[in-house]
Amino acid sequence: MNLDDHENFQRMIDQSLAGAISAEKEQSLREHLFTCAPCKEYLGACNRVIAGLSGFSFEVNPTLNSRVFAALRLRAEQDRAARPRRRRFIRLYTVSPKVWAALAVALSMSVLGSAVLYQVAKYLMVPVHFDNAQVQEGVLVFWLLPSLCAAFCLLAAPVEKRGVA
Amino acid sequence: MESDTRRIALGLRQRDATVLETLVEQYQYRLVRYLVSLLGRRDGVDDLVQETWLRVLERGGSYDGRYRFEPWLFRVARNIALDTMRKRPMLSLDSNEGDGIRSSPASGEASPYTLAARTQDAERLADALQTLEPVYREALVLRFEEDLSLQEISVIVGAPISTVASRIYRGLATLRPQLEGEPA
Repeated sequence: MNLDDHENFQRMIDQSLAGAISAEKEQSLREHLFTCAPCKEYLGACNRVIAGLSGFSFEVNPTLNSRVFAALRLRAEQDRAARPRRRRFIRLYTVSPKVWAALAVALSMSVLGSAVLYQVAKYLMVPVHFDNAQVQEGVLVFWLLPSLCAAFCLLAAPVEKRGVA
Repeated sequence: MESDTRRIALGLRQRDATVLETLVEQYQYRLVRYLVSLLGRRDGVDDLVQETWLRVLERGGSYDGRYRFEPWLFRVARNIALDTMRKRPMLSLDSNEGDGIRSSPASGEASPYTLAARTQDAERLADALQTLEPVYREALVLRFEEDLSLQEISVIVGAPISTVASRIYRGLATLRPQLEGEPA
């Protein structure tokens, strides 16, 4: 066997160790290694290098994990604080008692106002011959629903835009 | 295995502190070893490790769980190391191969490999490893210590598979004489 053949097989050993060899070449390499002492020696030296690489044990600073955990928690808290809060339709946890009171007043006024308005409208609509059902619809659509919407918008609005002290 | 990676991906996407802390405990040593192989020194590695995990927290959503977690983690660590070195020219990671890596311990500081050698063969390899081009050392560690495939290494280092393979061949060729002729 000439030198070129050994070089070829030793290149195949490198490829095999790197995981860059075909199954066919691997088989041919195995067969060659049974009979070739120099190539076997070459493989042995490579394997010793690889085993030698496992002979290092780096010390990890014992406080490193806790330091990393602390940094992660801090960064997560900072991110949470910096991130705009997710909008929910009604964020009950940000609603102060004053807002609840304002809402109660608004709802009462809506209902009471609707009743008063209905009586007034019923009286005023007599000359134009509107019946009671039409007056009720008018009060519902043009007074009660808008006032209820306004009350709930107050509740759902961001704190700074509620306009309630 | 895939369910593990999916679980990791989900945990990272949700910024689940428990998943993250488990990953830190599981991969910390390997991350340190990889960064030492990349930098050729021990000082500054802890800061890079911490920075890597913070980046994992921030960008964890980009890990999709289709592949192993290690290559993704090492790639994050590598990018941070390179960024840091670019910002601090005193610790430059220049390279003959053009991807920006060269390293050495600070003057007067013992080689991390000499300090970490636990076997006779490791002691014989320590000096050669320290003077080996970092890209070769990195390829050897990723292939033989981390047991990554050429494909995975090529993703980490951002080089073609053929380049990674030739780095492994050259790394082995440089270290082999250190052990040839010595009793096993």
